[in-house]
Amino acid sequence: MDIFPALADVLADPMLLGAILLAAVVGMVVGATPGLTAAAAIAMLLPVTYYMDPLFALAFLYVIGKSGRYGGSIAAILFNTPGTAASAATQLDGYPLARQGKAGKAMKTATVSSVIGDFMGDTLLIVGVGWIAALALKLGPPETFAIYFAAFVVIGSVIGKSVVKGLASAGLGVLVATVGLDPISGVERYTFGSFDLSNGIGLVPLMIGVFVLGEVFAQMETRHRAVETVRPQDHGRDGDTLTWAEYKPCLPHALRGGLIGAGIGVLPGLGSAIAAFISYGEGKRRARNPEQWGHGALEGVAAPESANNAVSGPSMAPLLTLGIPGSTIGAILLGVFLIHGIQVGPTLFLTSKELVYRLFACGLLGIVAYGLIGYFGAAQVAKLILRVPPRVLYPLIFLTSFVAAYSARGSLFDVLVMVVSGFAGWIMRKVDFNVAAFVISFVLAKGAEETFRQALLMSDHGLLIFIERPIAAAFLGLGVVAMGLRVRTLVRDRRAGSAGHA
Amino acid sequence: MLRRHLIAGTAALALAPLMAPLVASMAGAADYPRRPINIVVPYKAGGGTDAYARALSAAAEGVLPVPVVVVNKPGSGGLNGAQSVLGARPDGYTVMLTSGGSFLLTTLMRKTPIDALDSFRFVAQVGQLRTALMVPADSPFQTVQDVIAAAKANPGGLRWAHSGRGGFHHVGGLGFLAANGIKAQDVPFKGGGPARAALIGAQTDFGFIGVQQLRGFEGKIRALAVNAADRDGIMTKVPSFGELGIPFANVSSPVLILAPKDTPDAVVAYLEAALKDITAKHAFADLLAKQGSGPVYADAATARATLAAMKADVTPLVADLK
Repeated sequence: MDIFPALADVLADPMLLGAILLAAVVGMVVGATPGLTAAAAIAMLLPVTYYMDPLFALAFLYVIGKSGRYGGSIAAILFNTPGTAASAATQLDGYPLARQGKAGKAMKTATVSSVIGDFMGDTLLIVGVGWIAALALKLGPPETFAIYFAAFVVIGSVIGKSVVKGLASAGLGVLVATVGLDPISGVERYTFGSFDLSNGIGLVPLMIGVFVLGEVFAQMETRHRAVETVRPQDHGRDGDTLTWAEYKPCLPHALRGGLIGAGIGVLPGLGSAIAAFISYGEGKRRARNPEQWGHGALEGVAAPESANNAVSGPSMAPLLTLGIPGSTIGAILLGVFLIHGIQVGPTLFLTSKELVYRLFACGLLGIVAYGLIGYFGAAQVAKLILRVPPRVLYPLIFLTSFVAAYSARGSLFDVLVMVVSGFAGWIMRKVDFNVAAFVISFVLAKGAEETFRQALLMSDHGLLIFIERPIAAAFLGLGVVAMGLRVRTLVRDRRAGSAGHA
Repeated sequence: MLRRHLIAGTAALALAPLMAPLVASMAGAADYPRRPINIVVPYKAGGGTDAYARALSAAAEGVLPVPVVVVNKPGSGGLNGAQSVLGARPDGYTVMLTSGGSFLLTTLMRKTPIDALDSFRFVAQVGQLRTALMVPADSPFQTVQDVIAAAKANPGGLRWAHSGRGGFHHVGGLGFLAANGIKAQDVPFKGGGPARAALIGAQTDFGFIGVQQLRGFEGKIRALAVNAADRDGIMTKVPSFGELGIPFANVSSPVLILAPKDTPDAVVAYLEAALKDITAKHAFADLLAKQGSGPVYADAATARATLAAMKADVTPLVADLK
């Protein structure tokens, strides 16, 4: 049990505890601010962490990710807008609850459920990661590619309403990722003779552009529409307290959500939003009171909130053991590891085991931090956000994004990349493309191509290597099955839809 | 600190009319360094070259008044990072630490305007890297002869890992194959760390990776021979091709610090002197010993001469391999 000495080390370091606390607050504020996601905030804070100690930097960003996933629930409940995509499901019951004067109750339910889910996810990660790492040492390029493949198929088909637009978004991400030098032979691709393009498109400017600038542009367009909000102070004590009797029926939903989130977290590329929706759907299907879901059931807050936070821990497993970033946050953390000279992948647990367990310990403490702050102070965070008017907030975000894009690599070309990505992200939102699928595909494409071509070089029988090796075949099968299930659901939905109209 | 600057500033002001040209050239050195210095490593973190940059960054404390930040820009056998340093402002705040052998070979084998000897300012040599023939711990190959025999029995059937095409591990491996008249399929990885991970997982039959990569992984991989006439100064247990009497190509790699071409003389001289002090520190050697390598210092002129000599040696070899 490597976690306990690590926990003791972290607890003995007041600076580190301070960083965790700060990260918990930052994540919560960012998550609760409509239009800002934890991933975007992490991308923007990345340059700051260059000068920190590796554990400090990783813990800071990792806890922001956790706290940001939770913070989204505040906006979902009070502002009727998901602070992050991951809390869109929370909105379904959270906002009705707020309108009934139970905003405080809903926020407390969200906090408790997030903490439960996050703890479940982290516990599974801490218990299982050593085992996965040992297994990962046996996995080679064919298996790694199969995992990438499964992730691709699943993200392309699960995210978004339209499979075609989902796949198109993913395809666009892949296309942008191929700009630069060929990973095996070093031939220039889509560089048009430009030196800057030969270095490829940077993840950080791309993300800031798509997630931050694109969102700012979208907000500018809709600025005349007043945001409906429920002010948390408008209600009496009763709506703000949460009793055990009230939470008891939520508990099974939170536990199930935790398991769903953890399971989805291990698979690269899926992420919190999907976990939350699956958990909500599954919860509603099994609930004793399905008719109340969507009209202000506390269970409807507990199920998605637990699931979206449970993703956080397990999504680190493919990142740490295989070097496959499971999420956009993971992709940035991967960069942090590299900047600090830590080789992520199968050998990480042989070279930097202590650091990894200390990071996990920081994650656990981060959950405690945002849990306590959220339980007692979520309403204050919401008031703080409401006090900053959008006409101040968005210009500020706009300027910060330029600074962040430049300082990540000190490159003006990156600023250009960010601006172009910003417009691209805005247009993609308008035509209903899936920007999350675009970015995660961009993240996954490079590794997928590299491992695919390595596998072919290793193979005596060309593509058959993916079937000859059982683990590779299993993951390919998983991708195909996931695609099949999605198509079946769509067909059924369409039939149900046309039956409804008839 | 501030006071020293003030005095220097006042002195410069007083003497300005008399010594304007001299003061102007010294101003660069007197002001330098004021910000953190970025060392670009054109390979992934965790490899042998990267280890030098990390050790340098740690040992620079006390010698340089500013932090040294390591920035990894991997890809394309080191050209990615080299191109970015080439385009960087020549102010001494961006320099490259590269594996000189790999860098030279890449520029020879690829279509690139970069010339290893002329595109950059040489600052110093800080170390030396050698490649070695390694196999997974449970490999049936016990000796180099076993590998040669297996490759002869199954031409082109064996797979071998290295850290990127055009790198000195790749060329060293190709040289070994050519010298022994055998064929095998290479599988490039991005950097020494992933190549070693592939060997640990027995994804390939053998590999050419830095001899220092064995350190800490003795139970997972075995080194059959180092690609040199003599044994390595640090990894002394690994036999050399030379002592085993096996033909090989003499490809190794001095670890070099290079700066953009137009970096001022005073700045280069400052860094050259600072690097001599840093590489002489025990802390530097200790940090490298953990990685299985050690310090080898040479000044800018010597480092350039070493690489020029190697260029003369490898040019015919590269022409055959292309």
